[in-house]
Amino acid sequence: MKFEAQLDGAVVPVEVTGDGGRYRVTLGGDALEVDARPAGEGGWSLLLGRESFAAGVCEEEGGVFVVDVDGETYSIRVEEETRYIIRTRGGGAAARGQILKAPMPGRVVMVEVTVGQAVAPGDGLVILEAMKMENEFKASVAGTVKEIRVEAGQAVNPGDVLVVVE
Amino acid sequence: MSIATVAVFSEADREALHVLLADEAVPIGPAPAAESYLSAEKLIAAARATGAQAVHPGYGFLAENASFADACATAGLVFIGPSPAAVRAMGDKMAARRVALSLGVPVVPGASEPVTDDKDAARIAEDVGYPVMLKAVMGGGGKGMRLVHRREDLAGALRAARSEAGAAFGDASVYIERYLAAPRHVEIQILADAHGSTVHLGERECSIQRRHQKLIEESPSPGVDAELRRRMGAAACRLAAAVGYVNAGTAEFLVDAHGSFYFLEMNARLQVEHPVTELVTGRDLVREQLRIAAGEKLGYGQEDIAWSGAAIECRINAEDPDQGFLPSPGCITRLSAPAGPWVRNDSGVYAGYTVPRYYDTLMAKLIVWAPDREAAVARMERALGEYQVGGVRSTIPVLRRILRHPDFVAGKLDTQFMERLDDAPVPGRHRTLALIAAALAAYERAGRETPPAAAPTVSAWARLGRPGSSGSRPR
Repeated sequence: MKFEAQLDGAVVPVEVTGDGGRYRVTLGGDALEVDARPAGEGGWSLLLGRESFAAGVCEEEGGVFVVDVDGETYSIRVEEETRYIIRTRGGGAAARGQILKAPMPGRVVMVEVTVGQAVAPGDGLVILEAMKMENEFKASVAGTVKEIRVEAGQAVNPGDVLVVVE
Repeated sequence: MSIATVAVFSEADREALHVLLADEAVPIGPAPAAESYLSAEKLIAAARATGAQAVHPGYGFLAENASFADACATAGLVFIGPSPAAVRAMGDKMAARRVALSLGVPVVPGASEPVTDDKDAARIAEDVGYPVMLKAVMGGGGKGMRLVHRREDLAGALRAARSEAGAAFGDASVYIERYLAAPRHVEIQILADAHGSTVHLGERECSIQRRHQKLIEESPSPGVDAELRRRMGAAACRLAAAVGYVNAGTAEFLVDAHGSFYFLEMNARLQVEHPVTELVTGRDLVREQLRIAAGEKLGYGQEDIAWSGAAIECRINAEDPDQGFLPSPGCITRLSAPAGPWVRNDSGVYAGYTVPRYYDTLMAKLIVWAPDREAAVARMERALGEYQVGGVRSTIPVLRRILRHPDFVAGKLDTQFMERLDDAPVPGRHRTLALIAAALAAYERAGRETPPAAAPTVSAWARLGRPGSSGSRPR
């Protein structure tokens, strides 16, 4: 089965075959024999040759897998190859801009921008209070604020769209 | 000590570990702290209903609230902590500064009254000199604290500090103090009984902080020698004695590069980081708190306090260190804590537990002891490497980076340390492995999902009859 794995802006083709704990994983041209077994809830034991690794794998929304290995955490979006091709073909526009969503439940303390305002990467957009701390959410792209969907004092849930930058 | 315990819990904490471990548990209201954990009335009603004789206030919420200590006394409950008068004298940061000044204990230059309006604040900040530190009068735990470098940032910082202080302590008063560049944050643990004995248990080095919240603490401090320990300890004991302080308390100091120390504030409660003191002194601080509250004598003096080896504590918080320590509440899908000699894991969570979004992000404290600091650092590195938390982001990766930093290894610590730590994006040592694990997880999931989708078009009999197809996954 062929996948496209997206990590930190890079797209890596990965092919997996095999069964019953023994897999062949082809990653960017290199074929690796991997012995992998589920080890506890959300955990995998991986043997690559004699090297033994424990990885935590947690699936989030949108086919994103959060993998933690030896204290390092990676967010990897894995899509079946044809789905990836269909999604990205002619869909360049979706990659531009930023749709800022609430990553956690909280309360909007302040909206720092207005509709039509130009923003640069790193500019503050919204301050959200969660777990007793105020957290500022910043623009990740340069653009113009197209929509503001929340106001100060409002409670938000994870996934709620706060601000749209184009 | 064979003391039965009663836990109180909000609606968000029904599954919290303290509820599971207690002998009895009493619900005290909805998730927002103001309607549960900050309600003295509900806490006292719970104590009365269960016939509790004493209240341990922990280290958050009402732990340093004099009115609550008063309410306990009125209800005939023993408050495990100092008297309301001492909490008042020390819990109010402005009053504590005045006491220190009167005893000749040096304090950080700053205003002697809380600021009331923005104009007032601007004037005081100019007098004190930028950069200034804004602090909640009733503060603690970094809440309601803001560092302000430029005058144009003052109004915004003041607003944020007030709002945080109001939400966390029910009092939005904030004061201004001069900010010392790159000091060490060193605190002295004291114990005082009701019979006039006060001793100190040495210092804790707490310079590794982000957003003014401690991440790593240790004892002894690599920057404190026996003489400085003796002087700071004596100052802390003097402060405690001056206000009639009884029970466990902590005097916080800033220590500059020349070894001069400035009193910051007294925490009239147990500290989160108390275990490092326990490990180097061999004294169980919570047990001592209970003994003192029961009216017992300490039974030892300053000359009986001895220190051995080095202890380090790391805070395992549900936060994402790669995204500015953003809180990461949610379900802990996987949890495996390290063990071994002189490794202690004080945890409040378990696998399958959901870290609620309402409270502090602290999940566990990992504490190690070794005969010397170098061995303690090595032991902590090993233990952190074995700590596995899945489902929520944790501070473990950044703790490991700190432990490997040459300045940390050399004991060159100050409160600016975290700014020197590179924002090393993802170290990337295990990038390939992570890609493999993610692809395997997607592959296995596809295998689980695909069969039902394929079923309608092909008869199960036909599929089973086809050689080689049974039991294997559609590719």
